[in-house]
Amino acid sequence: MTTTSIERNEAGAPLISVRDLSVSYDVARTGKRLTAIEGVDLDVHEGEFITVLGPSGCGKTTFMNVVAGLVKPTTGTVLVGGSPVTGPGPDRAVVFQDYALLPWRTVFDNVKFGLEMQKELKGAGWRERVQEAIELVGLAGFEQSYPRELSGGMQQRVGLARAVVAEPRILLMDEPLGAVDALTREVMRDEIEKLMAATGKTVLFITHSIEEAILLGDRIVVFKSHPGAIKEIIETGLERPRSERSIQHDPRFLELRDHLWDALQGEATAAAVSK
Amino acid sequence: MTVTSATGTMRIVRPRRVIRRSEAKWTWLLVGVIAAILLIWEAAVSWLQLIPASFLPPPSAIAVSFGKLLVDPEFWGAFGYSLGNVAIGLVIAVVVGVTVGLAVGWSPVLRFTVAPFLWLLYSTPKVALAPLFILGLGLGSESKIALVFLLAVFPIILNTMEGAVTVSTSLVNAGRVYGVNGVALGWKIIVPATLPYSLSGIQRGAALGFTGEVLGEFLGGTGGLGHMLEYAAYQFQMDDAIAMVIVMVIIANLTLLLISTLRRRLAPWYDDRKIAGAS
Ligand SMILES: Nc1ncnc2c1ncn2[C@@H]1O[C@H](COP(=O)(O)OP(=O)(O)OP(=O)(O)O)[C@@H](O)[C@H]1O
Ligand SMILES: [Mg+2]
Repeated sequence: MTTTSIERNEAGAPLISVRDLSVSYDVARTGKRLTAIEGVDLDVHEGEFITVLGPSGCGKTTFMNVVAGLVKPTTGTVLVGGSPVTGPGPDRAVVFQDYALLPWRTVFDNVKFGLEMQKELKGAGWRERVQEAIELVGLAGFEQSYPRELSGGMQQRVGLARAVVAEPRILLMDEPLGAVDALTREVMRDEIEKLMAATGKTVLFITHSIEEAILLGDRIVVFKSHPGAIKEIIETGLERPRSERSIQHDPRFLELRDHLWDALQGEATAAAVSK
Repeated sequence: MTVTSATGTMRIVRPRRVIRRSEAKWTWLLVGVIAAILLIWEAAVSWLQLIPASFLPPPSAIAVSFGKLLVDPEFWGAFGYSLGNVAIGLVIAVVVGVTVGLAVGWSPVLRFTVAPFLWLLYSTPKVALAPLFILGLGLGSESKIALVFLLAVFPIILNTMEGAVTVSTSLVNAGRVYGVNGVALGWKIIVPATLPYSLSGIQRGAALGFTGEVLGEFLGGTGGLGHMLEYAAYQFQMDDAIAMVIVMVIIANLTLLLISTLRRRLAPWYDDRKIAGAS
Protein backbone atom coordinates (compact mmCIF):
# COMPACT_ATOMS: atom_id res chain seq x y z
CA MET A 1 0.00 0.00 0.00
CA THR A 2 1.37 3.39 -0.94
CA THR A 3 0.90 5.92 1.75
CA THR A 4 1.98 9.31 0.55
CA SER A 5 3.35 12.26 2.39
CA ILE A 6 1.22 15.26 3.34
CA GLU A 7 2.33 16.98 0.19
CA ARG A 8 1.61 15.68 -3.27
CA ASN A 9 4.55 15.70 -5.61
CA GLU A 10 3.52 18.65 -7.63
CA ALA A 11 5.10 21.93 -8.52
CA GLY A 12 3.91 25.27 -7.16
CA ALA A 13 2.64 26.45 -3.79
CA PRO A 14 -0.36 24.60 -2.35
CA LEU A 15 -3.72 26.33 -2.40
CA ILE A 16 -4.52 25.16 1.11
CA SER A 17 -1.75 24.61 3.57
CA VAL A 18 -2.43 23.30 7.07
CA ARG A 19 0.39 23.05 9.59
CA ASP A 20 0.30 21.51 13.04
CA LEU A 21 -3.33 22.42 13.44
CA SER A 22 -5.14 21.62 16.65
CA VAL A 23 -8.52 22.73 17.88
CA SER A 24 -9.96 22.31 21.34
CA TYR A 25 -13.39 23.34 22.53
CA ASP A 26 -14.43 24.67 25.90
CA VAL A 27 -17.21 22.48 27.11
CA ALA A 28 -19.26 24.85 29.24
CA ARG A 29 -21.23 22.12 30.98
CA THR A 30 -18.24 20.28 32.43
CA GLY A 31 -15.81 23.20 32.40
CA LYS A 32 -13.22 21.00 30.65
CA ARG A 33 -11.46 21.42 27.35
CA LEU A 34 -12.02 18.84 24.68
CA THR A 35 -9.34 18.32 22.07
CA ALA A 36 -11.19 17.77 18.80
CA ILE A 37 -8.18 17.56 16.48
CA GLU A 38 -4.46 17.61 17.05
CA GLY A 39 -1.35 17.98 14.93
CA VAL A 40 -3.04 18.04 11.55
CA ASP A 41 -0.77 18.70 8.54
CA LEU A 42 -2.11 18.81 5.01
CA ASP A 43 -1.34 20.50 1.71
CA VAL A 44 -3.94 20.68 -1.00
CA HIS A 45 -3.10 21.83 -4.51
CA GLU A 46 -5.32 23.71 -6.88
CA GLY A 47 -7.74 21.40 -8.68
CA GLU A 48 -7.27 18.52 -6.26
CA PHE A 49 -10.19 16.49 -5.00
CA ILE A 50 -9.57 15.44 -1.41
CA THR A 51 -11.93 13.03 0.30
CA VAL A 52 -11.95 12.78 4.08
CA LEU A 53 -12.89 9.55 5.83
CA GLY A 54 -13.06 8.79 9.52
CA PRO A 55 -15.21 7.52 12.35
CA SER A 56 -17.98 9.68 13.73
CA GLY A 57 -16.79 12.37 16.11
CA CYS A 58 -13.16 12.28 14.98
CA GLY A 59 -13.14 15.96 14.06
CA LYS A 60 -13.81 16.01 10.33
CA THR A 61 -16.38 18.81 10.57
CA THR A 62 -14.13 20.70 12.95
CA PHE A 63 -11.26 20.47 10.46
CA MET A 64 -13.44 21.69 7.62
CA ASN A 65 -14.81 24.55 9.73
CA VAL A 66 -11.29 25.77 10.36
CA VAL A 67 -10.56 25.85 6.64
CA ALA A 68 -13.90 27.59 6.10
CA GLY A 69 -12.90 30.24 8.65
CA LEU A 70 -15.76 29.44 11.01
CA VAL A 71 -13.62 27.99 13.79
CA LYS A 72 -10.32 29.50 14.92
CA PRO A 73 -7.32 27.21 15.28
CA THR A 74 -6.20 26.72 18.87
CA THR A 75 -2.66 26.23 17.62
CA GLY A 76 -1.11 25.92 14.20
CA THR A 77 -1.71 27.72 10.94
CA VAL A 78 -4.04 27.43 7.98
CA LEU A 79 -3.13 29.23 4.78
CA VAL A 80 -5.44 29.58 1.81
CA GLY A 81 -3.83 30.97 -1.31
CA GLY A 82 -0.79 31.84 0.77
CA SER A 83 -2.48 34.02 3.39
CA PRO A 84 -3.72 32.98 6.83
CA VAL A 85 -7.43 32.32 7.19
CA THR A 86 -9.07 34.99 9.34
CA GLY A 87 -12.68 34.21 8.49
CA PRO A 88 -14.93 32.99 5.73
CA GLY A 89 -14.38 34.37 2.23
CA PRO A 90 -15.92 34.25 -1.22
CA ASP A 91 -13.18 31.87 -2.36
CA ARG A 92 -14.65 29.11 -0.18
CA ALA A 93 -18.18 27.72 -0.13
CA VAL A 94 -19.50 25.16 2.33
CA VAL A 95 -22.08 22.40 2.04
CA PHE A 96 -23.14 21.89 5.64
CA GLN A 97 -23.71 18.50 7.19
CA ASP A 98 -27.01 19.75 8.66
CA TYR A 99 -27.92 21.62 5.43
CA ALA A 100 -28.26 25.01 7.23
CA LEU A 101 -30.88 26.29 4.80
CA LEU A 102 -32.75 29.47 5.66
CA PRO A 103 -36.27 28.23 6.48
CA TRP A 104 -37.89 31.55 5.50
CA ARG A 105 -36.54 31.41 1.97
CA THR A 106 -37.77 29.33 -0.92
CA VAL A 107 -35.47 26.95 -2.73
CA PHE A 108 -34.77 29.61 -5.34
CA ASP A 109 -33.95 32.27 -2.76
CA ASN A 110 -31.82 29.87 -0.74
CA VAL A 111 -29.71 29.12 -3.78
CA LYS A 112 -29.58 32.82 -4.61
CA PHE A 113 -28.16 33.37 -1.12
CA GLY A 114 -24.96 31.74 -2.40
CA LEU A 115 -24.20 34.76 -4.56
CA GLU A 116 -26.24 37.66 -3.30
CA MET A 117 -23.51 39.19 -1.15
CA GLN A 118 -21.04 39.14 -4.02
CA LYS A 119 -21.70 42.35 -5.88
CA GLU A 120 -19.98 41.43 -9.11
CA LEU A 121 -22.06 38.26 -9.37
CA LYS A 122 -25.37 39.97 -8.86
CA GLY A 123 -25.16 41.58 -12.27
CA ALA A 124 -27.17 40.49 -15.27
CA GLY A 125 -27.71 36.78 -15.66
CA TRP A 126 -27.76 35.85 -12.00
CA ARG A 127 -31.26 34.40 -12.30
CA GLU A 128 -30.07 32.02 -14.98
CA ARG A 129 -27.14 30.98 -12.81
CA VAL A 130 -29.44 30.22 -9.90
CA GLN A 131 -31.78 28.29 -12.15
CA GLU A 132 -28.90 26.33 -13.63
CA ALA A 133 -27.64 25.36 -10.18
CA ILE A 134 -31.14 24.21 -9.21
CA GLU A 135 -31.39 22.09 -12.34
CA LEU A 136 -27.96 20.67 -11.74
CA VAL A 137 -29.10 19.14 -8.44
CA GLY A 138 -32.36 17.91 -9.97
CA LEU A 139 -34.72 20.27 -8.16
CA ALA A 140 -36.35 21.98 -11.12
CA GLY A 141 -40.01 22.47 -10.31
CA PHE A 142 -39.34 23.05 -6.60
CA GLU A 143 -38.06 26.63 -6.89
CA GLN A 144 -40.93 28.03 -4.86
CA SER A 145 -41.01 25.33 -2.17
CA TYR A 146 -39.89 26.06 1.38
CA PRO A 147 -37.24 23.81 2.93
CA ARG A 148 -39.69 22.28 5.37
CA GLU A 149 -41.72 21.02 2.44
CA LEU A 150 -38.74 19.04 1.13
CA SER A 151 -37.25 15.70 2.14
CA GLY A 152 -33.86 15.59 3.83
CA GLY A 153 -32.12 14.55 0.64
CA MET A 154 -33.77 17.35 -1.32
CA GLN A 155 -32.72 19.90 1.30
CA GLN A 156 -29.19 18.61 1.10
CA ARG A 157 -29.23 19.16 -2.65
CA VAL A 158 -30.39 22.74 -2.14
CA GLY A 159 -27.33 23.21 0.07
CA LEU A 160 -25.18 21.82 -2.72
CA ALA A 161 -26.71 24.16 -5.30
CA ARG A 162 -26.16 27.12 -3.00
CA ALA A 163 -22.49 26.21 -2.67
CA VAL A 164 -21.77 25.76 -6.38
CA VAL A 165 -23.82 28.68 -7.72
CA ALA A 166 -21.09 31.27 -7.17
CA GLU A 167 -18.40 28.91 -8.52
CA PRO A 168 -15.99 29.38 -5.62
CA ARG A 169 -12.41 28.33 -5.95
CA ILE A 170 -12.66 25.88 -3.07
CA LEU A 171 -15.64 23.72 -2.20
CA LEU A 172 -15.92 22.34 1.31
CA MET A 173 -18.49 19.59 1.44
CA ASP A 174 -19.51 17.92 4.69
CA GLU A 175 -21.22 14.64 3.82
CA PRO A 176 -23.14 16.35 1.03
CA LEU A 177 -24.80 13.14 -0.10
CA GLY A 178 -25.43 11.61 3.31
CA ALA A 179 -29.22 11.94 3.21
CA VAL A 180 -29.65 11.19 -0.49
CA ASP A 181 -30.95 7.83 -1.74
CA ALA A 182 -28.58 5.44 -3.54
CA LEU A 183 -29.76 6.25 -7.07
CA THR A 184 -29.78 10.02 -6.72
CA ARG A 185 -26.49 9.69 -4.95
CA GLU A 186 -24.91 8.08 -7.96
CA VAL A 187 -26.31 10.73 -10.28
CA MET A 188 -25.14 13.53 -7.99
CA ARG A 189 -21.73 11.95 -7.56
CA ASP A 190 -21.27 11.83 -11.32
CA GLU A 191 -22.41 15.44 -11.57
CA ILE A 192 -19.99 16.56 -8.88
CA GLU A 193 -17.13 14.71 -10.53
CA LYS A 194 -17.92 16.15 -13.94
CA LEU A 195 -18.36 19.63 -12.56
CA MET A 196 -15.06 19.49 -10.73
CA ALA A 197 -13.21 18.05 -13.68
CA ALA A 198 -14.64 20.71 -15.99
CA THR A 199 -14.04 23.68 -13.71
CA GLY A 200 -10.88 22.56 -11.95
CA LYS A 201 -12.26 23.34 -8.51
CA THR A 202 -10.47 22.32 -5.39
CA VAL A 203 -12.59 20.14 -3.17
CA LEU A 204 -12.54 18.90 0.40
CA PHE A 205 -15.22 16.26 0.60
CA ILE A 206 -16.17 14.51 3.85
CA THR A 207 -17.91 11.19 3.54
CA HIS A 208 -18.77 8.08 5.51
CA SER A 209 -18.70 5.90 2.44
CA ILE A 210 -15.45 4.14 1.56
CA GLU A 211 -16.56 3.60 -2.05
CA GLU A 212 -17.45 7.26 -2.43
CA ALA A 213 -14.09 8.33 -1.01
CA ILE A 214 -12.25 6.18 -3.57
CA LEU A 215 -14.53 7.06 -6.45
CA LEU A 216 -14.20 10.80 -6.04
CA GLY A 217 -10.86 11.40 -4.43
CA ASP A 218 -7.46 12.12 -5.88
CA ARG A 219 -6.26 11.59 -2.34
CA ILE A 220 -8.05 10.14 0.65
CA VAL A 221 -7.36 11.59 4.08
CA VAL A 222 -8.15 9.08 6.81
CA PHE A 223 -8.82 10.48 10.27
CA LYS A 224 -8.54 8.65 13.56
CA SER A 225 -10.18 9.64 16.83
CA HIS A 226 -9.16 10.26 20.47
CA PRO A 227 -7.83 12.71 19.69
CA GLY A 228 -8.81 13.46 16.11
CA ALA A 229 -5.77 13.40 13.86
CA ILE A 230 -4.76 12.30 10.39
CA LYS A 231 -4.03 8.59 10.38
CA GLU A 232 -2.90 8.34 6.79
CA ILE A 233 -3.19 9.93 3.38
CA ILE A 234 -3.65 7.69 0.37
CA GLU A 235 -3.29 8.58 -3.29
CA THR A 236 -5.96 6.73 -5.24
CA GLY A 237 -4.17 6.81 -8.59
CA LEU A 238 -7.24 5.73 -10.56
CA GLU A 239 -7.94 6.90 -14.08
CA ARG A 240 -10.60 9.52 -14.63
CA PRO A 241 -13.38 9.65 -15.57
CA ARG A 242 -14.44 7.00 -13.10
CA SER A 243 -17.85 5.53 -12.76
CA GLU A 244 -19.25 3.25 -10.12
CA ARG A 245 -19.65 0.50 -12.70
CA SER A 246 -16.27 0.73 -14.39
CA ILE A 247 -14.41 0.86 -11.12
CA GLN A 248 -16.07 -2.13 -9.43
CA HIS A 249 -13.61 -4.70 -10.80
CA ASP A 250 -10.51 -2.56 -10.91
CA PRO A 251 -7.91 -4.36 -8.74
CA ARG A 252 -6.65 -1.01 -7.46
CA PHE A 253 -10.14 -0.13 -6.29
CA LEU A 254 -10.50 -3.46 -4.49
CA GLU A 255 -7.12 -3.07 -2.86
CA LEU A 256 -7.95 0.43 -1.66
CA ARG A 257 -11.32 -0.64 -0.41
CA ASP A 258 -9.91 -3.50 1.66
CA HIS A 259 -7.21 -1.31 3.06
CA LEU A 260 -9.59 1.49 4.06
CA TRP A 261 -12.03 -1.02 5.46
CA ASP A 262 -9.34 -2.42 7.77
CA ALA A 263 -8.14 1.03 8.74
CA LEU A 264 -11.60 2.26 9.66
CA GLN A 265 -12.64 -0.91 11.39
CA GLY A 266 -9.53 -0.69 13.55
CA GLU A 267 -10.54 2.88 14.40
CA ALA A 268 -14.12 1.97 15.18
CA THR A 269 -13.04 -0.86 17.49
CA ALA A 270 -10.52 1.37 19.20
CA ALA A 271 -13.21 3.99 19.72
CA ALA A 272 -15.60 1.42 21.17
CA VAL A 273 -12.95 0.05 23.55
CA SER A 274 -11.86 3.45 24.80
CA LYS A 275 -15.41 4.36 25.81
CA MET B 1 -50.08 17.33 -4.40
CA THR B 2 -48.10 14.90 -6.51
CA VAL B 3 -44.96 16.16 -8.11
CA THR B 4 -42.79 14.39 -10.64
CA SER B 5 -39.16 15.32 -10.56
CA ALA B 6 -35.97 14.10 -12.10
CA THR B 7 -35.48 11.75 -9.21
CA GLY B 8 -38.89 10.16 -9.02
CA THR B 9 -42.39 10.82 -7.90
CA MET B 10 -43.16 12.08 -4.44
CA ARG B 11 -46.09 13.35 -2.52
CA ILE B 12 -46.00 16.56 -0.61
CA VAL B 13 -48.47 16.42 2.22
CA ARG B 14 -49.87 19.67 3.48
CA PRO B 15 -50.76 18.87 7.07
CA ARG B 16 -52.75 22.03 7.75
CA ARG B 17 -55.51 21.10 5.33
CA VAL B 18 -55.91 17.67 6.90
CA ILE B 19 -56.22 19.07 10.40
CA ARG B 20 -58.74 21.67 9.27
CA ARG B 21 -61.08 19.00 8.01
CA SER B 22 -61.17 17.08 11.26
CA GLU B 23 -61.52 20.37 13.16
CA ALA B 24 -64.77 21.09 11.31
CA LYS B 25 -66.48 18.23 13.13
CA TRP B 26 -65.51 19.70 16.49
CA THR B 27 -66.74 23.11 15.43
CA TRP B 28 -70.20 21.73 14.84
CA LEU B 29 -70.17 19.98 18.18
CA LEU B 30 -69.19 23.27 19.83
CA VAL B 31 -72.01 25.11 18.07
CA GLY B 32 -74.43 22.45 19.29
CA VAL B 33 -73.24 22.73 22.89
CA ILE B 34 -73.53 26.53 22.84
CA ALA B 35 -77.05 26.34 21.37
CA ALA B 36 -78.08 23.90 24.10
CA ILE B 37 -76.69 26.13 26.85
CA LEU B 38 -78.50 29.20 25.46
CA LEU B 39 -81.73 27.25 25.27
CA ILE B 40 -81.50 26.05 28.87
CA TRP B 41 -80.57 29.57 29.98
CA GLU B 42 -83.54 31.10 28.14
CA ALA B 43 -85.84 28.44 29.62
CA ALA B 44 -84.57 28.94 33.16
CA VAL B 45 -84.98 32.72 33.10
CA SER B 46 -87.93 33.58 30.81
CA TRP B 47 -90.16 30.53 30.99
CA LEU B 48 -89.52 28.83 34.32
CA GLN B 49 -88.41 32.07 36.04
CA LEU B 50 -85.93 30.27 38.28
CA ILE B 51 -83.63 33.30 38.27
CA PRO B 52 -84.82 36.94 38.30
CA ALA B 53 -84.28 38.54 34.86
CA SER B 54 -82.88 41.71 36.48
CA PHE B 55 -80.07 39.62 37.90
CA LEU B 56 -79.37 37.40 34.90
CA PRO B 57 -81.15 38.58 31.77
CA PRO B 58 -82.19 35.87 29.26
CA PRO B 59 -80.24 35.49 25.95
CA SER B 60 -83.14 37.05 24.02
CA ALA B 61 -82.90 40.29 26.06
CA ILE B 62 -79.13 40.33 25.63
CA ALA B 63 -79.55 39.87 21.88
CA VAL B 64 -81.88 42.89 21.80
CA SER B 65 -79.37 45.00 23.77
CA PHE B 66 -76.63 43.82 21.47
CA GLY B 67 -78.59 44.91 18.42
CA LYS B 68 -79.22 48.32 20.00
CA LEU B 69 -75.52 48.72 20.76
CA LEU B 70 -74.60 48.18 17.16
CA VAL B 71 -76.69 51.16 16.03
CA ASP B 72 -75.72 53.38 18.96
CA PRO B 73 -73.23 56.13 17.89
CA GLU B 74 -72.09 56.45 21.50
CA PHE B 75 -71.00 52.81 21.38
CA TRP B 76 -69.00 53.35 18.20
CA GLY B 77 -67.35 56.39 19.76
CA ALA B 78 -66.31 54.31 22.76
CA PHE B 79 -65.20 51.52 20.43
CA GLY B 80 -62.93 53.88 18.50
CA TYR B 81 -61.54 55.38 21.69
CA SER B 82 -60.63 52.01 23.18
CA LEU B 83 -59.18 50.48 20.05
CA GLY B 84 -57.24 53.66 19.33
CA ASN B 85 -55.58 53.48 22.74
CA VAL B 86 -54.86 49.77 22.35
CA ALA B 87 -53.37 50.34 18.89
CA ILE B 88 -51.08 53.15 20.06
CA GLY B 89 -49.95 51.22 23.14
CA LEU B 90 -49.40 48.09 21.11
CA VAL B 91 -47.37 49.80 18.40
CA ILE B 92 -45.05 51.29 21.02
CA ALA B 93 -44.85 47.90 22.75
CA VAL B 94 -43.96 46.16 19.47
CA VAL B 95 -41.21 48.64 18.62
CA VAL B 96 -39.73 48.63 22.12
CA GLY B 97 -40.32 44.92 22.71
CA VAL B 98 -38.78 43.68 19.48
CA THR B 99 -35.77 46.00 19.81
CA VAL B 100 -35.09 45.13 23.44
CA GLY B 101 -35.77 41.46 22.82
CA LEU B 102 -33.32 41.28 19.92
CA ALA B 103 -30.65 43.21 21.80
CA VAL B 104 -30.92 41.13 24.95
CA GLY B 105 -31.18 37.88 23.02
CA TRP B 106 -28.19 38.65 20.83
CA SER B 107 -25.80 40.07 23.41
CA PRO B 108 -24.63 37.63 26.07
CA VAL B 109 -23.68 40.53 28.35
CA LEU B 110 -27.19 41.96 28.30
CA ARG B 111 -28.63 38.49 28.65
CA PHE B 112 -26.85 37.90 31.93
CA THR B 113 -27.47 41.36 33.35
CA VAL B 114 -30.87 42.44 32.05
CA ALA B 115 -32.80 39.25 31.35
CA PRO B 116 -33.33 38.25 35.01
CA PHE B 117 -35.02 41.61 35.63
CA LEU B 118 -37.22 41.16 32.58
CA TRP B 119 -38.42 37.80 33.86
CA LEU B 120 -38.99 39.31 37.29
CA LEU B 121 -41.06 42.13 35.80
CA TYR B 122 -42.88 39.73 33.54
CA SER B 123 -44.06 37.68 36.49
CA THR B 124 -45.07 40.75 38.52
CA PRO B 125 -48.86 41.24 38.48
CA LYS B 126 -48.72 44.53 36.61
CA VAL B 127 -52.47 45.14 36.81
CA ALA B 128 -51.82 45.97 40.44
CA LEU B 129 -50.03 49.07 39.18
CA ALA B 130 -53.10 50.29 37.27
CA PRO B 131 -54.34 52.66 40.01
CA LEU B 132 -50.85 54.19 40.20
CA PHE B 133 -50.89 54.87 36.48
CA ILE B 134 -54.26 56.56 36.72
CA LEU B 135 -53.10 58.67 39.65
CA GLY B 136 -49.93 59.61 37.85
CA LEU B 137 -51.16 60.10 34.30
CA GLY B 138 -54.76 61.14 34.85
CA LEU B 139 -58.10 59.87 33.66
CA GLY B 140 -57.40 60.43 29.95
CA SER B 141 -55.90 58.26 27.26
CA GLU B 142 -52.31 58.55 28.51
CA SER B 143 -52.80 56.30 31.51
CA LYS B 144 -54.60 53.69 29.37
CA ILE B 145 -51.93 53.69 26.69
CA ALA B 146 -49.27 53.32 29.34
CA LEU B 147 -51.14 50.38 30.82
CA VAL B 148 -51.57 48.70 27.42
CA PHE B 149 -47.87 49.17 26.79
CA LEU B 150 -46.83 47.81 30.16
CA LEU B 151 -48.94 44.69 29.82
CA ALA B 152 -48.10 44.02 26.17
CA VAL B 153 -44.38 44.71 26.14
CA PHE B 154 -43.11 41.85 28.29
CA PRO B 155 -44.44 38.89 26.32
CA ILE B 156 -43.09 40.58 23.18
CA ILE B 157 -39.64 41.13 24.71
CA LEU B 158 -39.41 37.65 26.16
CA ASN B 159 -40.61 35.82 23.08
CA THR B 160 -38.32 37.81 20.81
CA MET B 161 -35.46 37.18 23.20
CA GLU B 162 -36.11 33.46 23.19
CA GLY B 163 -36.26 33.48 19.40
CA ALA B 164 -32.98 35.37 19.10
CA VAL B 165 -31.24 33.08 21.59
CA THR B 166 -32.35 29.94 19.80
CA VAL B 167 -31.22 31.00 16.32
CA SER B 168 -29.08 28.02 15.40
CA THR B 169 -25.34 28.51 15.02
CA SER B 170 -25.44 26.67 11.74
CA LEU B 171 -27.70 29.37 10.24
CA VAL B 172 -25.32 32.05 11.46
CA ASN B 173 -22.43 30.04 10.01
CA ALA B 174 -24.22 29.73 6.69
CA GLY B 175 -24.67 33.50 6.71
CA ARG B 176 -20.99 34.10 7.44
CA VAL B 177 -19.81 31.65 4.78
CA TYR B 178 -21.87 33.41 2.15
CA GLY B 179 -20.60 36.84 3.06
CA VAL B 180 -23.15 38.19 5.52
CA ASN B 181 -21.48 40.16 8.30
CA GLY B 182 -22.18 42.60 11.10
CA VAL B 183 -25.47 44.43 10.80
CA ALA B 184 -26.52 42.45 7.72
CA LEU B 185 -26.23 39.30 9.81
CA GLY B 186 -28.89 40.83 12.03
CA TRP B 187 -31.47 41.56 9.39
CA LYS B 188 -30.72 38.69 7.02
CA ILE B 189 -30.49 35.93 9.59
CA ILE B 190 -31.38 36.90 13.16
CA VAL B 191 -34.50 38.97 12.47
CA PRO B 192 -36.23 36.55 10.09
CA ALA B 193 -35.33 33.59 12.29
CA THR B 194 -36.83 35.42 15.26
CA LEU B 195 -39.91 36.80 13.52
CA PRO B 196 -42.28 33.91 14.24
CA TYR B 197 -41.40 34.14 17.94
CA SER B 198 -41.97 37.89 17.99
CA LEU B 199 -45.34 37.49 16.29
CA SER B 200 -46.37 34.92 18.83
CA GLY B 201 -45.36 37.37 21.58
CA ILE B 202 -47.30 40.16 19.85
CA GLN B 203 -50.38 37.99 19.77
CA ARG B 204 -50.16 37.41 23.49
CA GLY B 205 -49.31 41.06 24.07
CA ALA B 206 -52.37 42.23 22.13
CA ALA B 207 -54.69 40.14 24.27
CA LEU B 208 -53.10 41.41 27.49
CA GLY B 209 -53.05 44.99 26.17
CA PHE B 210 -56.77 44.91 25.51
CA THR B 211 -57.35 43.68 29.04
CA GLY B 212 -55.19 46.55 30.27
CA GLU B 213 -57.24 49.10 28.34
CA VAL B 214 -60.58 47.87 29.64
CA LEU B 215 -59.26 47.62 33.16
CA GLY B 216 -57.88 51.14 33.01
CA GLU B 217 -61.18 52.56 31.79
CA PHE B 218 -62.96 50.60 34.47
CA LEU B 219 -60.81 51.93 37.27
CA GLY B 220 -60.92 55.52 36.18
CA GLY B 221 -61.73 56.66 32.72
CA THR B 222 -63.71 59.16 30.78
CA GLY B 223 -64.61 57.05 27.77
CA GLY B 224 -64.21 53.74 26.03
CA LEU B 225 -65.84 50.35 26.16
CA GLY B 226 -64.70 49.63 29.71
CA HIS B 227 -66.22 52.88 30.83
CA MET B 228 -69.51 52.06 29.12
CA LEU B 229 -69.51 48.65 30.69
CA GLU B 230 -68.91 50.08 34.12
CA TYR B 231 -71.76 52.55 33.59
CA ALA B 232 -74.19 49.80 32.50
CA ALA B 233 -73.26 47.61 35.44
CA TYR B 234 -73.58 50.52 37.85
CA GLN B 235 -77.10 51.15 36.53
CA PHE B 236 -77.94 47.46 36.95
CA GLN B 237 -78.64 47.18 33.23
CA MET B 238 -77.39 43.65 33.16
CA ASP B 239 -78.51 42.95 29.58
CA ASP B 240 -76.49 45.95 28.35
CA ALA B 241 -73.52 44.92 30.48
CA ILE B 242 -73.49 41.36 29.18
CA ALA B 243 -73.88 42.58 25.58
CA MET B 244 -70.80 44.77 26.17
CA VAL B 245 -68.84 41.80 27.49
CA ILE B 246 -69.78 39.85 24.39
CA VAL B 247 -68.56 42.71 22.21
CA MET B 248 -65.23 42.63 24.02
CA VAL B 249 -64.88 38.90 23.61
CA ILE B 250 -65.54 39.34 19.90
CA ILE B 251 -63.00 42.15 19.58
CA ALA B 252 -60.35 40.21 21.46
CA ASN B 253 -60.85 37.15 19.28
CA LEU B 254 -60.88 39.14 16.06
CA THR B 255 -57.58 40.71 17.09
CA LEU B 256 -56.06 37.31 17.76
CA LEU B 257 -57.36 36.04 14.44
CA LEU B 258 -55.94 39.06 12.66
CA ILE B 259 -52.52 38.54 14.20
CA SER B 260 -52.43 34.83 13.50
CA THR B 261 -53.39 35.52 9.89
CA LEU B 262 -50.61 38.08 9.80
CA ARG B 263 -48.27 35.48 11.18
CA ARG B 264 -49.17 32.99 8.50
CA ARG B 265 -48.67 35.72 5.91
CA LEU B 266 -45.37 37.00 7.20
CA ALA B 267 -43.94 33.64 8.21
CA PRO B 268 -45.50 31.07 5.90
CA TRP B 269 -42.48 28.83 6.36
CA TYR B 270 -43.10 28.38 10.04
CA ASP B 271 -45.08 25.63 11.64
CA ASP B 272 -47.36 27.37 14.20
CA ARG B 273 -47.45 24.43 16.51
CA LYS B 274 -43.72 24.53 17.10
CA ILE B 275 -43.74 27.75 19.12
CA ALA B 276 -44.46 27.53 22.79
CA GLY B 277 -42.65 30.55 24.18
CA ALA B 278 -43.58 32.81 27.06
CA SER B 279 -47.28 33.25 27.38
N1 LIG C 1 -19.09 23.49 19.22
C1 LIG C 1 -18.56 22.45 19.91
N2 LIG C 1 -18.40 22.54 21.25
C2 LIG C 1 -17.85 21.51 21.94
N3 LIG C 1 -17.44 20.36 21.39
C3 LIG C 1 -17.57 20.22 20.06
C4 LIG C 1 -18.15 21.24 19.25
N4 LIG C 1 -18.16 20.81 17.97
C5 LIG C 1 -17.63 19.57 17.99
N5 LIG C 1 -17.28 19.21 19.24
C6 LIG C 1 -16.63 17.94 19.61
O1 LIG C 1 -15.50 17.77 18.81
C7 LIG C 1 -15.40 16.44 18.37
C8 LIG C 1 -15.34 16.38 16.86
O2 LIG C 1 -16.59 16.80 16.33
P1 LIG C 1 -16.87 16.90 14.77
O3 LIG C 1 -18.23 17.44 14.60
O4 LIG C 1 -15.76 17.65 14.15
O5 LIG C 1 -16.82 15.37 14.34
P2 LIG C 1 -17.11 14.70 12.93
O6 LIG C 1 -15.90 13.92 12.58
O7 LIG C 1 -17.59 15.71 11.97
O8 LIG C 1 -18.29 13.68 13.27
P3 LIG C 1 -19.49 13.15 12.35
O9 LIG C 1 -18.89 12.22 11.36
O10 LIG C 1 -20.37 12.44 13.32
O11 LIG C 1 -20.13 14.34 11.75
C9 LIG C 1 -16.57 15.68 18.97
O12 LIG C 1 -16.12 14.97 20.08
C10 LIG C 1 -17.52 16.75 19.37
O13 LIG C 1 -18.19 16.36 20.54
MG1 LIG D 1 -19.37 16.06 10.99
